[in-house]
Amino acid sequence: MNSFIKANPIRCIGCRTCLISCVVAHEGKRIFEIDPDGYNFNPRLFMVKTARVSAPVHCRHCENPACKASCTSGAIFVKDNVVLVDTKKCIGCKNCVIACPFGAVEIVETAEVQNDGSPRKIANKCDLCVGVADSPSCVKVCPTEALALVTDGDLSQSVADKRRNAAAAAAV
Amino acid sequence: MAKNSVKEIQTTCCYCGTGCQLLFTVDQAANKILDVHPVWGRTNEGTACLKGWYGWDYLNDPQILTKRLREPMIRKNGRKSPLEVVSWDEAIKFVADNFKRIKEKWGPDSFLGAASARGPGNEAGYITQKFTRAVMGTNNIDHCARICHAASVAGSRQTIGEGAMSLSIPEIEDAEVIFNIGYNAAASHPIVARRIVKAKEKGAFIICADPRITETARISDLHLQLKGGSNVALVNSLANVIISEDLIDHEFVKAHTKGFDEFWEVVKEYTPEYAATITGLSAEDIRFTARKYASSKHSVILWGMGITQFSQGVETVKCCCSLAMLTGNFGRPSCGTGPVRGQNNVQGTCDMGDLPDVYPGYQSVTDPEIQAKFEKAWGVKLSNKAGIQLTRVPEFVIHEKDPAKRIHAYYITGEDPAQSDPDLEEIRETLDQVDFVVVQDIFWNKTAEHADAILPATAWGEHDGCYTSSDRGFQRIRKVLEGQGNILPDWEITCRIATAMGYPMHYNNTEEIWNEMIDLCPKFTGATYEKMERQGSVQWPCWDKGPGDKGTMFLHKDGRFATPDGIGILKTSPYHPPTEVENKEFPLALCTVREVGHYSVRTMTGNCRMLRNLEDEPGWVEMSPEDCAELGLREGEIVKVLSKRGSVYTRCKPTERVKPGAVYMTYQWWIGACNELTISSLDPSSRTPEYKYCAARVEKIKDQAWAKQEVAHIYEDIRSRMHIVKEEVLA
Repeated sequence: MNSFIKANPIRCIGCRTCLISCVVAHEGKRIFEIDPDGYNFNPRLFMVKTARVSAPVHCRHCENPACKASCTSGAIFVKDNVVLVDTKKCIGCKNCVIACPFGAVEIVETAEVQNDGSPRKIANKCDLCVGVADSPSCVKVCPTEALALVTDGDLSQSVADKRRNAAAAAAV
Repeated sequence: MAKNSVKEIQTTCCYCGTGCQLLFTVDQAANKILDVHPVWGRTNEGTACLKGWYGWDYLNDPQILTKRLREPMIRKNGRKSPLEVVSWDEAIKFVADNFKRIKEKWGPDSFLGAASARGPGNEAGYITQKFTRAVMGTNNIDHCARICHAASVAGSRQTIGEGAMSLSIPEIEDAEVIFNIGYNAAASHPIVARRIVKAKEKGAFIICADPRITETARISDLHLQLKGGSNVALVNSLANVIISEDLIDHEFVKAHTKGFDEFWEVVKEYTPEYAATITGLSAEDIRFTARKYASSKHSVILWGMGITQFSQGVETVKCCCSLAMLTGNFGRPSCGTGPVRGQNNVQGTCDMGDLPDVYPGYQSVTDPEIQAKFEKAWGVKLSNKAGIQLTRVPEFVIHEKDPAKRIHAYYITGEDPAQSDPDLEEIRETLDQVDFVVVQDIFWNKTAEHADAILPATAWGEHDGCYTSSDRGFQRIRKVLEGQGNILPDWEITCRIATAMGYPMHYNNTEEIWNEMIDLCPKFTGATYEKMERQGSVQWPCWDKGPGDKGTMFLHKDGRFATPDGIGILKTSPYHPPTEVENKEFPLALCTVREVGHYSVRTMTGNCRMLRNLEDEPGWVEMSPEDCAELGLREGEIVKVLSKRGSVYTRCKPTERVKPGAVYMTYQWWIGACNELTISSLDPSSRTPEYKYCAARVEKIKDQAWAKQEVAHIYEDIRSRMHIVKEEVLA
C-alpha cells in the first residue's frame, strides 16, 4: 500500500510550521543564507481553514492515481509506494491539477528560465520527502503532533480496531 | 572548516513567553549557524513552533524589511540635522550630556525610560530601571507590558497579590476544565496551545469565550461567541450563577478570602438573562459555563489580550481571579489563573522592576523600608513617588501645557512605540515634541526616525543572560554568534551612560548583575545562574540559594495568597461599554490580533526569509463573508480601512470565523499598520489602551491596479527610510 500523511484537525492549530518545513526540506539549509528573493517558496501541502476545521491537505498517494492517469508527458509515476513527479518530464499541462480530487497538486514557478525568458512551470505535490529528509519533514516539525505518516501496517491496525469495536457494539 | 570550531549551544527561544529550548549548531570560526532544532525544556518538551524552528536568520541581516543598526549615530546639530556616525565615546557623551542638561533644567521626573521586554534579557532590564532610578532619580520607568498585560498585573495584584500565572504551562494539560477567555494560544503561544490540545485529548472540557472562531474556539466543547467588549458582563454573570446556585467552595471562601458582600453587591445584578442582553449569548450557555467551571477543583482560566486590552481590562482580570477563589481553584496543581505573557521577556521585565511603582521583585517604591534598602545598595537617594506609565507620554508631552511638568527626555530600549502604541499619528507628534529621544535597538524601526541618538545593541543570540518565561521560569540565554559591527550589549551601553553622568556602573558579565539583583529581591534570591544551569529552569518564588529550594511550580499553596495578610480579595465592577462604539460613519468594530509567524513590531521576523514568505505586507483585514458581500469585496483585494484617527491599506480576507460587524487586523504590518486606527483610550488603573475595540470603516477601491502600485510604492518608501535601498541617506 502507498503511505500517505494524515492530518488530525483536533490537534492542528493552523500554524503552518509544516508548510515552511516542506520548503526548507526541498530547498536545503542554504535557503537561510542566500538572497532572500533567490528561491521559490512552494510548499507541497496546503493549509485549509474553514469555520470548524484547520488542517493541511497533502497528496493521498492514491493506489490508482488520477493525476498519473491524466499525465500527458508520463511525468507522474509510482516508485517504492510513493507517487512522484519527474520534474524534467513535466510540461505543466495542468491535467493532474484538474484530475486530483483533493486539490493536492498545483502548478508552480521554478527557478529555471525558459528560452523566452519566462520561468519554467511544473506540477508540485507531496513526495513524502523521499530523498530529501529522514522522515516527512512536516510530520517531524509539527508542534502538536497533528500529522502522521500512515503506512500499510497502521491502516490495518486501525481497521482491525474499528472492526473489533463495531463487533463489540453489535454484541450489546 | 576547522572541525573543533563547531559547537552546540543551547539557549531559550527569543519569541513569545513559552520559553522553548533550542539547540544551535554553530561554526564558531566562521561565525555561522549550521543547524537549529528544539530540545527538551520544562515548557516545550522538545517541540517548537515555526518561529523557533525558522526564525533566526534575521541575525544575518538579510535586509528584507529593515537593516541592522551597526554604528552609534547622533544628530550633532539639533533636531533637524542629519544623523552622523560617531564613536561610542562621542555617542555616550552626547547622550549623557543631554540627559544631565534636561535633569538639571527640568528635574528628574522630566525623564522616562522604556525598558525592553525582548532580546536584551533580565540583566539589561535590571540595569535600565537602576539607571532610571539611581542616575536620573525618577520612577518614570515602564515597558511594553503596559500595552499588553499590565491589566493582568494590576487586577491580579489587587485580588490575589501576585500578577503572574498562578499555574505553570505543563499543568494546563492536566486540567479538567479550561475556561479560555480572550486568549488565542494558537497564534500567541503555539507551544502553550499544544497543552490545550493535549488537555482536550486527556478529557478536559474546554470552554472558549471569544468573539471570533479561534483555533481554541474551534476545538472547544462550548464556544461562547460573545460580543466584543462585553467580557465584564460575562464574568460577572458567571459569578452570579456560582453564588446564586450555591456552587461556592464555602470552606475556601471563608478561610482565604474577604470582600464577599461587596462583590455580591456588584454581581447580583448580572443574572444570566441580563448578561445575555449585553453579551449576545444565551442565558443557558452562561449557566452551563458557570456550573461546569465550578464543578472541578482543576479548573483553569487562561486569558490573553482579549480581556486586558480594554478600558475595563483590570476589572475583568479581578473577576477572573474572583471566580477561581469562589470555587477554591487555587493552591493545587492544574488550577488557578493563567495570564499568558506575549513577548519572550514581558514577565522578566516586570520581575526586574521596569514598572513605575515597584523595584525589582515587586517591592513597592512607596514603602520606606524598601526604599532604604535600595538606597543603601545603590548608594543614592531615591524617589518615593510612583512614576508615570509609558502610555501617558502623549499626555505629558503634547497635552501638558506647563513645560515644568512635561517629559523632556525619552530613552527607549528595544521597543518601537511608533509602531506598537495606539493612535500612531499622536505618537509621532509626541516623539517629535520630546526634546531628546534616544533609541537603543538592533534594527532601524519607525521610532528611530524620530531619534536624536541611535545606540546599536547586540541581538538575542549575540549575548548572555536570562529570560523569565510566562510561568515565572528563569532560563538562561547564551551567546550563539559574535555580533557584527560596532555594537554593544544593552546593559553595557546603559552602564556607560550612567558612568559618563557621574554614577559609575561597571559589571564584568551578566552574572554579576544577576547576583546583585537576586540579593535585593527575596523572591528571586535562590535563583542563581548555577541553579538555572543545573535545573534548566527555576520558577520563582525561589527564596533560598541552597539546592533544596528548586523554585515554585504553582502559587498560593494551601490558599495562602500573596497579599500582605495572605487573604484574597473578591472584586469586580459593573460593566460599561467600550469607549468608542460603532456609528453611522464607522459601522464596524475593529479589534487588533496576532499573526502566528510574526512577532511584536516585526523587525525580527520580517527579516526572516521563511516567516516573511508565509505572511507579508500589507497584511489582512479579516471580515465576515456577509460584510464582504455587501461591499462587493473579494479575497486578496486591497481595501482602505479608516477610523476617526487615520487610514491604511490592507488586503481583504473573508472568513466564516468572524461575525458580521466585526473586523480584525494584526498590528505588526508597516503598510497596513492598524495602530494608525486604534484609540488611545486607557484603562483607568492599568493605563492599558483599548486596542481591542474602536469604530472603523472599510472602503472598496475600484482601481485595484492603482492600489497595488500604491502599496508597492509605500513599501519601497518605508524600506528606503529603513536604509535598505538608499544607504547613504541618513536623514
